[in-house]
Amino acid sequence: MRDDPSVIALVERAVNSDQSAWNDIVERYAPLVWSVCTRYRLNDPDIEDVGQTVWLLLVEHLGKLREPAALPGWLVTTTHRECQRALTAARKTEGAGTKLDDALLVVDGTVIEQEILAAERNAALRQALRELPPRCQQLLTMLISDPPRSYAEISATLQIPIGSIGPQRARCLERLRRTAALAGFSADEMRVNSTGGEKRA
Amino acid sequence: MRNDWDDEQLLAALRESVRARLAVPPWFTQTARNSYAWLDIDAQLARLTYDSSDDRELEATLRSVSTRSEPASIRALTFTSARLAIELEVTADSLIGQIVPPRQGTIEQESKSGETATVSIDEIGCFYIQPVPDGSFRLRCRTEDGVDVVTNWFTL
Repeated sequence: MRDDPSVIALVERAVNSDQSAWNDIVERYAPLVWSVCTRYRLNDPDIEDVGQTVWLLLVEHLGKLREPAALPGWLVTTTHRECQRALTAARKTEGAGTKLDDALLVVDGTVIEQEILAAERNAALRQALRELPPRCQQLLTMLISDPPRSYAEISATLQIPIGSIGPQRARCLERLRRTAALAGFSADEMRVNSTGGEKRA
Repeated sequence: MRNDWDDEQLLAALRESVRARLAVPPWFTQTARNSYAWLDIDAQLARLTYDSSDDRELEATLRSVSTRSEPASIRALTFTSARLAIELEVTADSLIGQIVPPRQGTIEQESKSGETATVSIDEIGCFYIQPVPDGSFRLRCRTEDGVDVVTNWFTL
Protein backbone atom coordinates (compact mmCIF):
# COMPACT_ATOMS: atom_id res chain seq x y z
CA MET A 1 0.00 0.00 0.00
CA ARG A 2 1.30 3.45 -0.86
CA ASP A 3 2.08 5.80 1.99
CA ASP A 4 0.11 8.72 0.69
CA PRO A 5 1.16 11.66 2.88
CA SER A 6 -2.08 13.53 2.17
CA VAL A 7 -4.20 10.63 3.50
CA ILE A 8 -2.04 10.41 6.61
CA ALA A 9 -2.46 14.16 7.21
CA LEU A 10 -6.22 13.97 6.62
CA VAL A 11 -6.66 11.14 9.11
CA GLU A 12 -4.59 12.95 11.72
CA ARG A 13 -6.65 16.12 11.33
CA ALA A 14 -9.94 14.18 11.38
CA VAL A 15 -8.97 12.51 14.64
CA ASN A 16 -8.66 16.01 16.08
CA SER A 17 -12.19 17.19 15.34
CA ASP A 18 -11.57 18.74 11.93
CA GLN A 19 -14.83 18.37 9.99
CA SER A 20 -13.27 19.65 6.75
CA ALA A 21 -10.63 16.92 6.88
CA TRP A 22 -13.40 14.38 7.41
CA ASN A 23 -15.30 15.83 4.43
CA ASP A 24 -12.15 15.44 2.33
CA ILE A 25 -11.87 11.81 3.39
CA VAL A 26 -15.52 11.31 2.39
CA GLU A 27 -14.98 13.13 -0.91
CA ARG A 28 -12.02 10.91 -1.62
CA TYR A 29 -13.42 7.54 -0.62
CA ALA A 30 -17.24 7.73 -0.91
CA PRO A 31 -16.96 6.54 -4.55
CA LEU A 32 -15.02 3.50 -3.32
CA VAL A 33 -17.59 2.60 -0.65
CA TRP A 34 -20.41 3.28 -3.11
CA SER A 35 -18.94 1.14 -5.88
CA VAL A 36 -18.54 -1.82 -3.50
CA CYS A 37 -22.18 -1.40 -2.38
CA THR A 38 -23.55 -1.35 -5.93
CA ARG A 39 -21.93 -4.68 -6.69
CA TYR A 40 -24.24 -6.35 -4.16
CA ARG A 41 -27.41 -5.03 -5.81
CA LEU A 42 -28.85 -3.94 -2.47
CA ASN A 43 -31.79 -1.55 -2.42
CA ASP A 44 -31.24 2.10 -1.47
CA PRO A 45 -32.36 1.83 2.20
CA ASP A 46 -30.01 -1.13 2.69
CA ILE A 47 -27.16 0.74 1.02
CA GLU A 48 -27.87 3.71 3.29
CA ASP A 49 -27.72 1.47 6.36
CA VAL A 50 -24.47 -0.09 5.16
CA GLY A 51 -22.98 3.32 4.38
CA GLN A 52 -23.96 4.70 7.75
CA THR A 53 -22.53 1.72 9.61
CA VAL A 54 -19.26 1.85 7.66
CA TRP A 55 -18.70 5.57 8.26
CA LEU A 56 -19.72 5.37 11.93
CA LEU A 57 -17.30 2.51 12.43
CA LEU A 58 -14.62 4.57 10.71
CA VAL A 59 -15.22 7.50 13.07
CA GLU A 60 -14.80 5.10 15.98
CA HIS A 61 -11.82 3.49 14.34
CA LEU A 62 -9.95 6.61 13.17
CA GLY A 63 -7.76 6.97 16.21
CA LYS A 64 -6.91 3.27 16.14
CA LEU A 65 -5.77 3.07 12.51
CA ARG A 66 -2.17 2.04 13.02
CA GLU A 67 -1.29 3.03 9.48
CA PRO A 68 -3.47 5.85 8.19
CA ALA A 69 -2.39 4.78 4.71
CA ALA A 70 -4.26 1.52 5.29
CA LEU A 71 -7.54 3.47 5.35
CA PRO A 72 -8.79 2.50 1.86
CA GLY A 73 -8.11 -1.17 2.57
CA TRP A 74 -9.98 -0.95 5.86
CA LEU A 75 -12.91 0.78 4.10
CA VAL A 76 -13.15 -1.82 1.34
CA THR A 77 -13.06 -4.85 3.61
CA THR A 78 -15.50 -3.28 6.09
CA THR A 79 -17.92 -2.33 3.28
CA HIS A 80 -17.77 -5.84 1.80
CA ARG A 81 -18.48 -7.33 5.21
CA GLU A 82 -21.43 -5.02 5.92
CA CYS A 83 -22.86 -5.59 2.41
CA GLN A 84 -22.68 -9.34 2.87
CA ARG A 85 -24.44 -9.00 6.20
CA ALA A 86 -27.18 -6.87 4.60
CA LEU A 87 -27.48 -9.24 1.64
CA THR A 88 -27.88 -12.26 3.89
CA ALA A 89 -30.55 -10.44 5.91
CA ALA A 90 -32.39 -9.30 2.76
CA ARG A 91 -32.49 -12.83 1.38
CA LYS A 92 -34.00 -14.15 4.57
CA THR A 93 -36.77 -11.56 4.43
CA GLU A 94 -37.46 -12.26 0.79
CA GLY A 95 -37.67 -15.99 1.42
CA ALA A 96 -36.51 -19.01 -0.47
CA GLY A 97 -37.68 -17.64 -3.82
CA THR A 98 -34.58 -15.53 -4.19
CA LYS A 99 -31.78 -17.02 -6.16
CA LEU A 100 -28.58 -17.19 -4.22
CA ASP A 101 -25.63 -15.70 -5.96
CA ASP A 102 -22.95 -17.17 -3.80
CA ALA A 103 -20.24 -15.59 -5.90
CA LEU A 104 -21.09 -12.35 -4.08
CA LEU A 105 -20.25 -13.88 -0.74
CA VAL A 106 -16.73 -14.77 -1.79
CA VAL A 107 -14.49 -11.82 -2.43
CA ASP A 108 -10.92 -12.60 -3.28
CA GLY A 109 -7.99 -10.47 -2.33
CA THR A 110 -7.12 -9.54 -5.92
CA VAL A 111 -10.53 -7.93 -6.40
CA ILE A 112 -10.10 -5.92 -3.22
CA GLU A 113 -6.59 -4.87 -4.21
CA GLN A 114 -7.84 -3.71 -7.62
CA GLU A 115 -10.72 -1.76 -6.09
CA ILE A 116 -8.29 0.02 -3.80
CA LEU A 117 -5.84 0.81 -6.60
CA ALA A 118 -8.63 2.13 -8.84
CA ALA A 119 -10.01 4.27 -6.00
CA GLU A 120 -6.58 5.71 -5.20
CA ARG A 121 -5.93 6.46 -8.85
CA ASN A 122 -9.35 8.09 -9.28
CA ALA A 123 -8.97 10.16 -6.12
CA ALA A 124 -5.49 11.33 -7.23
CA LEU A 125 -6.80 12.27 -10.68
CA ARG A 126 -9.72 14.27 -9.26
CA GLN A 127 -7.35 16.00 -6.86
CA ALA A 128 -4.94 16.70 -9.72
CA LEU A 129 -7.78 18.29 -11.69
CA ARG A 130 -8.54 20.59 -8.74
CA GLU A 131 -4.90 21.67 -8.60
CA LEU A 132 -5.01 23.03 -12.16
CA PRO A 133 -5.70 26.67 -13.06
CA PRO A 134 -9.45 27.31 -13.66
CA ARG A 135 -9.03 27.56 -17.45
CA CYS A 136 -7.48 24.09 -17.62
CA GLN A 137 -10.10 22.67 -15.28
CA GLN A 138 -12.86 24.03 -17.51
CA LEU A 139 -11.28 22.76 -20.70
CA LEU A 140 -10.53 19.26 -19.40
CA THR A 141 -13.96 18.98 -17.76
CA MET A 142 -15.59 19.80 -21.08
CA LEU A 143 -13.35 17.36 -22.94
CA ILE A 144 -14.31 14.46 -20.68
CA SER A 145 -17.98 15.38 -20.30
CA ASP A 146 -20.67 12.86 -21.05
CA PRO A 147 -22.14 13.27 -23.62
CA PRO A 148 -18.99 14.63 -25.29
CA ARG A 149 -18.92 18.28 -26.31
CA SER A 150 -17.88 19.29 -29.79
CA TYR A 151 -14.86 21.53 -30.31
CA ALA A 152 -17.29 24.16 -31.67
CA GLU A 153 -19.22 24.09 -28.40
CA ILE A 154 -16.03 24.23 -26.32
CA SER A 155 -14.76 27.09 -28.44
CA ALA A 156 -18.01 29.06 -27.91
CA THR A 157 -18.19 28.40 -24.15
CA LEU A 158 -14.54 29.09 -23.30
CA GLN A 159 -14.17 31.77 -25.99
CA ILE A 160 -11.05 30.31 -27.51
CA PRO A 161 -10.47 29.63 -31.22
CA ILE A 162 -11.13 26.02 -32.29
CA GLY A 163 -7.57 25.81 -33.60
CA SER A 164 -6.08 26.42 -30.16
CA ILE A 165 -8.11 23.77 -28.33
CA GLY A 166 -5.72 20.99 -29.38
CA PRO A 167 -2.56 22.75 -28.17
CA GLN A 168 -4.25 23.93 -24.96
CA ARG A 169 -5.50 20.42 -24.31
CA ALA A 170 -1.93 19.11 -24.62
CA ARG A 171 -0.62 21.85 -22.30
CA CYS A 172 -3.30 21.24 -19.66
CA LEU A 173 -2.67 17.49 -19.71
CA GLU A 174 1.04 18.17 -19.30
CA ARG A 175 0.30 20.33 -16.26
CA LEU A 176 -1.95 17.56 -14.94
CA ARG A 177 0.93 15.09 -15.18
CA ARG A 178 3.13 17.43 -13.19
CA THR A 179 0.66 18.03 -10.34
CA ALA A 180 1.65 17.01 -6.83
CA ALA A 181 -1.39 14.71 -6.71
CA LEU A 182 -0.08 12.56 -9.57
CA ALA A 183 3.58 12.78 -8.66
CA GLY A 184 3.59 9.46 -6.85
CA PHE A 185 1.91 7.45 -9.57
CA SER A 186 3.87 5.33 -11.98
CA ALA A 187 2.65 4.58 -15.48
CA ASP A 188 1.83 1.01 -14.50
CA GLU A 189 -0.44 2.13 -11.68
CA MET A 190 -2.22 4.49 -14.02
CA ARG A 191 -3.09 1.64 -16.32
CA VAL A 192 -4.54 -0.75 -13.75
CA ASN A 193 -8.15 -1.32 -14.69
CA SER A 194 -8.15 1.83 -16.79
CA THR A 195 -10.29 1.96 -19.85
CA GLY A 196 -7.43 1.68 -22.26
CA GLY A 197 -9.83 0.59 -24.98
CA GLU A 198 -11.16 4.11 -25.30
CA LYS A 199 -8.28 5.19 -27.49
CA ARG A 200 -9.56 7.07 -30.45
CA ALA A 201 -8.41 6.08 -33.94
CA MET B 1 7.80 7.14 -15.97
CA ARG B 2 5.11 9.80 -16.02
CA ASN B 3 6.15 10.77 -19.52
CA ASP B 4 4.90 7.35 -20.63
CA TRP B 5 1.26 8.27 -20.23
CA ASP B 6 -0.17 9.32 -23.51
CA ASP B 7 -2.79 12.05 -23.68
CA GLU B 8 -5.65 9.74 -24.62
CA GLN B 9 -4.95 7.37 -21.74
CA LEU B 10 -4.68 10.20 -19.27
CA LEU B 11 -7.94 11.74 -20.51
CA ALA B 12 -9.71 8.36 -20.37
CA ALA B 13 -8.50 7.81 -16.80
CA LEU B 14 -9.60 11.32 -15.86
CA ARG B 15 -13.04 10.71 -17.40
CA GLU B 16 -13.36 7.47 -15.42
CA SER B 17 -12.38 9.17 -12.16
CA VAL B 18 -14.98 11.90 -12.58
CA ARG B 19 -17.63 9.38 -13.65
CA ALA B 20 -16.97 7.32 -10.50
CA ARG B 21 -17.47 10.45 -8.36
CA LEU B 22 -20.67 11.51 -10.17
CA ALA B 23 -22.12 8.01 -9.76
CA VAL B 24 -22.35 8.56 -6.00
CA PRO B 25 -25.78 9.94 -5.02
CA PRO B 26 -25.67 13.12 -2.89
CA TRP B 27 -27.58 11.44 -0.04
CA PHE B 28 -24.84 8.84 0.26
CA THR B 29 -22.07 11.40 0.73
CA GLN B 30 -24.30 13.50 3.01
CA THR B 31 -24.84 10.50 5.30
CA ALA B 32 -21.09 9.99 5.37
CA ARG B 33 -20.40 13.65 6.24
CA ASN B 34 -23.04 13.59 8.99
CA SER B 35 -21.47 10.52 10.57
CA TYR B 36 -18.65 12.71 11.82
CA ALA B 37 -20.96 14.16 14.49
CA TRP B 38 -20.42 10.78 16.11
CA LEU B 39 -16.93 11.88 17.14
CA ASP B 40 -18.45 14.33 19.62
CA ILE B 41 -20.77 11.75 21.12
CA ASP B 42 -19.42 9.76 23.99
CA ALA B 43 -21.62 6.86 23.05
CA GLN B 44 -20.13 3.62 21.89
CA LEU B 45 -21.53 1.73 18.97
CA ALA B 46 -23.41 -1.48 19.82
CA ARG B 47 -23.29 -3.85 16.86
CA LEU B 48 -25.90 -6.43 15.98
CA THR B 49 -24.19 -9.65 17.07
CA TYR B 50 -27.10 -12.07 17.11
CA ASP B 51 -30.31 -12.34 15.12
CA SER B 52 -32.51 -15.39 15.64
CA SER B 53 -33.73 -15.15 12.05
CA ASP B 54 -30.22 -16.34 11.15
CA ASP B 55 -31.22 -19.59 12.84
CA ARG B 56 -34.39 -19.93 10.84
CA GLU B 57 -32.98 -22.49 8.44
CA LEU B 58 -31.74 -24.59 11.33
CA GLU B 59 -35.12 -24.33 13.02
CA ALA B 60 -36.90 -25.44 9.88
CA THR B 61 -34.70 -28.51 9.73
CA LEU B 62 -35.27 -29.31 13.39
CA ARG B 63 -39.01 -28.85 13.00
CA SER B 64 -39.14 -31.24 10.07
CA VAL B 65 -37.79 -34.07 12.21
CA SER B 66 -40.00 -33.22 15.18
CA THR B 67 -43.50 -34.64 15.48
CA ARG B 68 -44.69 -31.98 17.91
CA SER B 69 -46.06 -28.76 16.56
CA GLU B 70 -44.09 -25.90 18.02
CA PRO B 71 -45.22 -22.43 18.92
CA ALA B 72 -44.29 -19.67 16.49
CA SER B 73 -40.80 -18.56 17.40
CA ILE B 74 -40.20 -15.06 18.64
CA ARG B 75 -37.47 -13.12 16.91
CA ALA B 76 -34.62 -12.21 19.21
CA LEU B 77 -31.73 -9.84 18.55
CA THR B 78 -28.67 -8.89 20.54
CA PHE B 79 -26.60 -5.73 20.17
CA THR B 80 -23.25 -5.79 21.88
CA SER B 81 -20.80 -3.09 22.89
CA ALA B 82 -17.78 -3.32 25.13
CA ARG B 83 -19.73 -2.21 28.20
CA LEU B 84 -23.21 -3.64 27.81
CA ALA B 85 -25.52 -5.69 25.63
CA ILE B 86 -29.05 -4.85 24.53
CA GLU B 87 -31.28 -7.88 24.04
CA LEU B 88 -34.52 -7.50 22.12
CA GLU B 89 -37.52 -9.70 21.52
CA VAL B 90 -39.95 -8.78 18.80
CA THR B 91 -43.59 -9.62 19.57
CA ALA B 92 -46.66 -8.82 17.49
CA ASP B 93 -47.23 -5.42 19.06
CA SER B 94 -44.09 -4.46 20.95
CA LEU B 95 -40.37 -4.71 21.41
CA ILE B 96 -39.33 -6.12 24.75
CA GLY B 97 -35.78 -5.28 25.69
CA GLN B 98 -33.31 -5.98 28.42
CA ILE B 99 -29.97 -4.46 29.27
CA VAL B 100 -27.21 -6.83 30.30
CA PRO B 101 -25.86 -6.40 32.93
CA PRO B 102 -29.16 -4.98 34.26
CA ARG B 103 -29.37 -1.38 35.44
CA GLN B 104 -31.72 1.57 35.19
CA GLY B 105 -31.63 4.24 32.54
CA THR B 106 -33.38 5.39 29.39
CA ILE B 107 -33.78 4.09 25.86
CA GLU B 108 -34.17 6.56 23.05
CA GLN B 109 -35.57 5.29 19.79
CA GLU B 110 -34.60 7.34 16.77
CA SER B 111 -35.97 7.06 13.24
CA LYS B 112 -34.14 8.11 10.09
CA SER B 113 -36.35 11.18 9.84
CA GLY B 114 -34.96 12.29 13.21
CA GLU B 115 -38.04 11.57 15.34
CA THR B 116 -37.22 10.29 18.78
CA ALA B 117 -39.18 8.64 21.58
CA THR B 118 -37.80 7.83 25.00
CA VAL B 119 -38.80 5.06 27.38
CA SER B 120 -37.31 4.20 30.75
CA ILE B 121 -35.38 1.10 31.70
CA ASP B 122 -36.62 -0.42 34.97
CA GLU B 123 -34.50 -1.69 37.88
CA ILE B 124 -34.11 -5.14 36.37
CA GLY B 125 -32.93 -3.68 33.08
CA CYS B 126 -36.18 -4.15 31.12
CA PHE B 127 -37.89 -1.74 28.73
CA TYR B 128 -40.87 -1.84 26.36
CA ILE B 129 -41.32 -0.09 23.06
CA GLN B 130 -44.78 0.08 21.55
CA PRO B 131 -45.62 -0.25 18.72
CA VAL B 132 -42.87 -2.15 16.91
CA PRO B 133 -40.87 0.50 15.00
CA ASP B 134 -41.62 0.67 11.33
CA GLY B 135 -38.66 1.29 9.01
CA SER B 136 -35.05 1.90 9.87
CA PHE B 137 -34.26 2.94 13.45
CA ARG B 138 -31.61 2.79 16.15
CA LEU B 139 -31.67 2.73 19.93
CA ARG B 140 -29.53 4.83 22.24
CA CYS B 141 -29.16 3.53 25.74
CA ARG B 142 -28.04 5.76 28.61
CA THR B 143 -27.71 4.13 31.99
CA GLU B 144 -27.69 5.79 35.40
CA ASP B 145 -24.07 4.86 35.90
CA GLY B 146 -23.06 6.76 32.79
CA VAL B 147 -22.83 4.14 30.05
CA ASP B 148 -23.95 5.51 26.70
CA VAL B 149 -24.28 3.22 23.67
CA VAL B 150 -26.07 3.47 20.34
CA THR B 151 -27.00 0.55 18.12
CA ASN B 152 -26.30 0.65 14.43
CA TRP B 153 -29.32 1.43 12.22
CA PHE B 154 -31.49 -1.57 11.56
CA THR B 155 -34.86 -2.54 10.18
CA LEU B 156 -36.98 -5.34 11.61
